Amino acid sequence: MLPSASAAEPLLATVGLRVGYDGHSLLPAIDLRIEAGQIWALIGRNGGGKSTLLRTLLGLQARVGGRIDRRPGLRVAYVPQRGDHDLAVPGRVIDVVRGGLDRGWSFLRPRALLDHGGVDRALEATSMAGLARHRFSTLSEGQKQRVLVARALAGDPHILLLDEPTSAMDPVNEEAIFSLLHDLSHQRDLAILVASHQMSFVPRFASHVVMVDKDDGLLEIGDRVAVLSCAACRRKYGDLLPNA
Amino acid sequence: MPDTIDAPLSLGLFFDGWELFREPALAGAVAGALLGLLGVYVVLRRVVFLSAAISQAAGLGVALSFYASLHLGLAVSPLVGAAALTGLAVLPFVGAGTDGQHDRLLGVIWLVGAAGTLAVGTRIVAEVSDIQDILFGTAVAVAPDDFARLWQVALAIGVLHLWWWRGFAAASFSRDAARVRGLPVRLLDVALFATLALAVSLTTRTLGALPAFAFSVLPAAAALAVARSVPQALVLAAALGALIGFGGYLVSFRYSLPVGPAQALVGGATVVALHAPGWALRGLRRLRARLAPA
Repeated sequence: MLPSASAAEPLLATVGLRVGYDGHSLLPAIDLRIEAGQIWALIGRNGGGKSTLLRTLLGLQARVGGRIDRRPGLRVAYVPQRGDHDLAVPGRVIDVVRGGLDRGWSFLRPRALLDHGGVDRALEATSMAGLARHRFSTLSEGQKQRVLVARALAGDPHILLLDEPTSAMDPVNEEAIFSLLHDLSHQRDLAILVASHQMSFVPRFASHVVMVDKDDGLLEIGDRVAVLSCAACRRKYGDLLPNA
Repeated sequence: MPDTIDAPLSLGLFFDGWELFREPALAGAVAGALLGLLGVYVVLRRVVFLSAAISQAAGLGVALSFYASLHLGLAVSPLVGAAALTGLAVLPFVGAGTDGQHDRLLGVIWLVGAAGTLAVGTRIVAEVSDIQDILFGTAVAVAPDDFARLWQVALAIGVLHLWWWRGFAAASFSRDAARVRGLPVRLLDVALFATLALAVSLTTRTLGALPAFAFSVLPAAAALAVARSVPQALVLAAALGALIGFGGYLVSFRYSLPVGPAQALVGGATVVALHAPGWALRGLRRLRARLAPA
């Protein structure tokens, strides 16, 4: 738990946040409040501004305007797209997951790692303990994604942000990954934000939705039912948009 | 002495003359271990031609320092010139990931370095041989002072890399996630490439450009055939680099070959030897799949 947090205070909030490049804003101003235990779906078509918003929230990209407030002591973890993990880098499952323990690394205290038990707990939580000694590169896509989620969990985060976690996955593995995220959120009171161009998972797994499309200036934020039934979203996506 | 020029020399002769061969043979081992360790990052970050480019940049730095002394009246040490241009050459790679989009840049650095050295060389004709001496030492004979400097720098860089390996690995292989976890990724890159530039330029100065290039690629390429994790790859590449450096010197003595090429060839043979079982296995699997009934 975060030490000085009041229940009403969000883990992460944005106030008038503008995201984009070279001072040019791609989307309208974004006001967002992410609280513990919530699962947010960041959806929209490819190239619609999802990754820009996600990277700005993560601090990987400079914001064009507005503010991002993080609760003091907040631990954020990020699961990049699976393709970002270079398979030429040798490593067993346990080595990849241990990579999540280096929060707090510094030149003066390079061995100041977090609790090693976090690795075992993360492997258990993602059902990957049995494959801990296997080479990462030999796993299936679904297993690789579980390992990357385990690496993010090893540092005991308060909020987990994932970029297209089910790309290149069959529907069975896709379902399994979203079920895993749903369970983790409930068991650990973990806030989760999933960026995905797929929308079918939203009704069953997401509590809140951000829908973006930079070409139409579309930005809808709120609970799942409100966003999935909004008129602008229905006009834009028609039958592709699932029912709440 | 051998009866014919082609007869292999006895290794007994080598060890009888150990006093004579000690520095160059051990310098090969030390440089091989150092660049073998760093080579794991070079190979996995797909910048294998970086050491070749660094050598050319250092050449231009030395040539410019001579030019400044002769024609501008500025007393700039050749080593300072080499260090400055080497630092500039590696700067663009700070912050670069493993996506292998750096080949153009490496080509530009190599070409500007090589062409610039030749062009400036026409204005400092008398000093050109000094540039060659300063830049491209010889792996056959290494002065005790040069060897002492090499092992001291190798020890310092080796200790730093053992101490900070987790940070270097995170900054190299999972950059975005490491930044989100709060690691100083850019500073780690600066430290990594600074140590790499220092190691390559010092090895080039002591042993020559070819062994420096070979040591920064071949031991790591061989180690990655069998290593199961990054720490294993680092340790194995350093050990293989030491063996290749020393073994290459032995091969050059026994078969009367030039030292640098002999070390590079031993490195190449090591890469093939360690990769061969994997290649054979994959070939057999492919063959079996092709022959299997549909």
